[in-house]
Amino acid sequence: MSAPQVDRRSAPSRWTRRAIGLVGLLVLMIGLASCGDENLPLNTLDPQGPQAQEIQDLIIPVFIVAGIVFVLVEGAVLFLALRFRRRKHHEDGNDEPVQIHGNSRLEWTWTIGPAVILAVLAVFNIRTLWNLEDAQADATQHIEVVGQQWWWEFRYDVDNDGKFDIITANQMVMPTGVTIGLRIRSNDVIHSFWIPALNGKKDAVPGRIHGLAITADKPGIYQGQCTEYCGLSHGYMRMEVKALAPDDFDEWVDNQLEGPVEPADGSTAAEGKEVFFSTCASCHQINGYDASGESTGSDVPDDDYQGPEIPLLSDNAPNLTHLMSRDRFAGNMFPLWEPGAELDGVEPVGTPDAGEIARWLRDPPAMKPMNPDQNAGMPNLNLSQEQVEQLTAFLTTLK
Amino acid sequence: MALTARTPLELESGTSAPTSRPLGVFARPTATTGWKSWFFSVDHKKIGIMYGVGSFFFFLVGGVEALMIRAQLARPDGKLLSADLYNQVFTMHGVTMVFLVIMPMAAAFANYLLPLQIGARDVAFPRLNAFSFWAWLAGALYFNTSWFLGGGANGGWFNYAPNSGVLFSPGHGIDFYTTGLLITGIASTVSAVNLIVTVINMRAPGMTWFKMPVFTWMTTIVQFLLLFSLPVITVALFMLTFDRRFGSNFFNAALGGDPLLWQHLFWIFGHPEVYILILPAFGIASEVIPVFSRKPIFGYPFMVFSGIAIAFMGFGVWAHHMFASGIGPMSVMAFSLSTMFIAVPTGVKILNWLATMYGGRLWLTTAMLFAIGMVAMFTIGGLSGVTHAFAPADTQQTDTYYIVAHFHYVIFGGSVMGFFAGFYYWWPKVFGYSLRERAGKRNFWTIFVGFNLTFGPMHILGLQGMSRRIFTYSDNQGFNTWNLVASIGAFIIGIGTLMFLVNVWRSYREHKRNPVDPGPDPWDARSLEWMVQSPVPEHNFDEVPTVTEFDEYWHRKYGHDENGRLVRIADTEDVAQKGDATGVHLPSPSYWPLVLALGLPFIGYGVIYHLGWAVLGTILVLVGVYGWILEPSTDPDAGHHEVHDAHPAGDGSGAAAELESAAGEHETTAEAAEAERSTETEETPVG
Repeated sequence: MSAPQVDRRSAPSRWTRRAIGLVGLLVLMIGLASCGDENLPLNTLDPQGPQAQEIQDLIIPVFIVAGIVFVLVEGAVLFLALRFRRRKHHEDGNDEPVQIHGNSRLEWTWTIGPAVILAVLAVFNIRTLWNLEDAQADATQHIEVVGQQWWWEFRYDVDNDGKFDIITANQMVMPTGVTIGLRIRSNDVIHSFWIPALNGKKDAVPGRIHGLAITADKPGIYQGQCTEYCGLSHGYMRMEVKALAPDDFDEWVDNQLEGPVEPADGSTAAEGKEVFFSTCASCHQINGYDASGESTGSDVPDDDYQGPEIPLLSDNAPNLTHLMSRDRFAGNMFPLWEPGAELDGVEPVGTPDAGEIARWLRDPPAMKPMNPDQNAGMPNLNLSQEQVEQLTAFLTTLK
Repeated sequence: MALTARTPLELESGTSAPTSRPLGVFARPTATTGWKSWFFSVDHKKIGIMYGVGSFFFFLVGGVEALMIRAQLARPDGKLLSADLYNQVFTMHGVTMVFLVIMPMAAAFANYLLPLQIGARDVAFPRLNAFSFWAWLAGALYFNTSWFLGGGANGGWFNYAPNSGVLFSPGHGIDFYTTGLLITGIASTVSAVNLIVTVINMRAPGMTWFKMPVFTWMTTIVQFLLLFSLPVITVALFMLTFDRRFGSNFFNAALGGDPLLWQHLFWIFGHPEVYILILPAFGIASEVIPVFSRKPIFGYPFMVFSGIAIAFMGFGVWAHHMFASGIGPMSVMAFSLSTMFIAVPTGVKILNWLATMYGGRLWLTTAMLFAIGMVAMFTIGGLSGVTHAFAPADTQQTDTYYIVAHFHYVIFGGSVMGFFAGFYYWWPKVFGYSLRERAGKRNFWTIFVGFNLTFGPMHILGLQGMSRRIFTYSDNQGFNTWNLVASIGAFIIGIGTLMFLVNVWRSYREHKRNPVDPGPDPWDARSLEWMVQSPVPEHNFDEVPTVTEFDEYWHRKYGHDENGRLVRIADTEDVAQKGDATGVHLPSPSYWPLVLALGLPFIGYGVIYHLGWAVLGTILVLVGVYGWILEPSTDPDAGHHEVHDAHPAGDGSGAAAELESAAGEHETTAEAAEAERSTETEETPVG
């Protein structure tokens, strides 16, 4: 019998031992690293509402069962590989193994056994699935969620008259303790709405309206991220939910229903308002003003609004009425307030981050990847330094 | 004998190829060395090697793309790649690894090994086989030319509508995706038909279905999966091409189309595709583990039927990719349940491999380490798969790095590790020299450690909420540590891959300096390919073996005593074939598969740029087709009648004459019969 050129030293070889040592070291490092007290704003295993908790209660037992199987199988692999490895005296054909071709009883056992375990888990799977579905029927309030490249819009019809009274972006505000029914739509491509602390994700598909129930137990800000790849700036399409105690939420609603405060004549903000209505208003709406900046006498979004003049693919740009009541802008990426501001109250309290707003106005595509040439996202308007300052002054009055 | 002496592939008889070719350009190529012997080859072994080299090249390309991704994500707010480039790179990485690496690498193993394992001299349609390879390569190169023509596809490998529409992705990247995958789809379909016909018709005498090696079984199942799933993606790709190039609205919701239609079509193909990617590796593990355990595969029928079960169920689970898509709770429930239970046949396979190892004498060669590593790593991918079969859990996990971790444990931990096991195991058979074992073990541990460092942390990242396909993340999201670890791991995999190439090179050099013949059977193996010399002679078998047992070759070497223990009954030298047969008729090389395949990318360019290119492509295709039909058999003078006269006599030369004339008269359809008959008649050396 012709012998190949192989390493016949007994296993585990030097390299095997080294590798095992290396793996051990890495496991140790990983253990130490994960002890760090990291802030995990998108953690999927930290539910803050009954829907997310429902999922958590399903997934933990599944992880435990999977973990047990993992330990058993991987343990068996290691055991078999070490226990039955060939030794020196086997090499010349001595002590050959018993030729086992199979064992039907054993094989049926490990066919049927896992099937039974899965069947049991399936019961819980189905129960959770339908519980989450039924939660939508409990919703007493609804918010329309609209995805577009690359930001989220939230629309409220607070008086149930069939018309939207509040249109906001990036930050969805909701009361705690009640189930909110989301109606998720898309204006262009498929996006996915996901606030991991509150529920699993649901896609926003053009031509469809998808329901999702979310409930927040406690006040707080819960981060989210678009999780269906939606083109160029998908990574910069984030959103958040601010949950307020019911009284605070009512206060927030009242504030949102008020129109903008007219800037004082001759102020920089007033000049900024002029710049706004000569350039920005071709895409962005501010409730209470018509397209030329004249007061409409109404404080809710304009019924006749026909969308941006520029043929944006999404046919929509963020409504800026109460811009400064939000935390961040441009897909919830950039701060509107300087560090140290209190953001989890009814309205943010602190210093507006004028520098960040001005940086955006000077060249938006430099801060966030966008395709203005293909009518997706905001173009560089080539504003002068003076115009940028005026606009910043105006925008920061929109509280 | 005059007749066989005129065949260009006549073996080792010392006579030269014929010099006069009355039909000019239609004469068949005759080169036996140099590039022509590869480009025009119809030999399943050469085609298999070319598939292997081609897919390994794209493995490096896709690997570089992976490293670009990991370099970008190593730190928060990465600036190495722009968002646009990042989107192209992750798309091209996915498409490349699935369609240009794993599928063709499986085709490489299938091409080389399947005929050998069933005791055949070639596949049923050798020229179609060459066409499959060239069409795949043409499609693959064509797809990658997009990098130089305005940028690669940027819609993700799943390419969801309407983001893949011309409105949202006006560049040509996605046109290259649709047309490129249509071309490689032609290659895969042709190859699937070819291998299915081969397995059905060309098994050696006595090689019944349930004596076939498990690798052959799994490969056969994969061909059926391809045959039934590729038409679906073909339809989807046509629709998208028409939406993009010709203004149709299949996926445009505003005009009554439906974006979810794409998702259904894509995943009806896409989920069987997952099994197309993994079953060949299951087959390889099922060859390697028994050989190095010195035991037969445990529960052969269960192994085969679980593979069949996986294939069937694989067509009924597609919508588990769509649990967040809004398909309705009833659909979600149905697909969630079917997905949970597909774990059962998969689990059977894992436990049967472990039972094969139990009580064995495990020879921990590099091939065996990779095979065991494959079982261990695939188990992790399988278990994480079960966790997101639970639809509510999946709504938290889908489109996060948890999924990225999951399918890399399946496709890298499963398929790629399986392929590496296959490389080390079959290398001496294919190339006539062994890869160095010590370097191989270093190679294994480097890849193993790098792999786990890369993809292990992704489970954690996903559960921490990191989305897929984001071009960067922020410092305050808590993703920093694990991303850095994953990136370091990815570069370790890169080093491991280079170590393999270095090992190949140094083993080759060593072999050139000091040739060591590995012999026909270096591992004391079980299946028929180890019965012939290494490298495999062009005609495969001197004499096609008659099969009486599963693991036929093993049973020619070993019996067992009354306690079931092995007893050697024959030496390898006595049962292995010498490889010295001459005058075995083999199908002749041909120019036309290459010409035909070359036309396809031009049709693709025609769809994208200008009709003129398509006209050129069509001309090439027509020339290829007519050349194919009109080219002579290797012996144009052998008349049909002669055959009938010769056949009853039953001597080898008569049979050869029949085969050649049959090939000449009804070339395309006759090739199956041709090759089959050459096995059935068990040609003995002539002259």
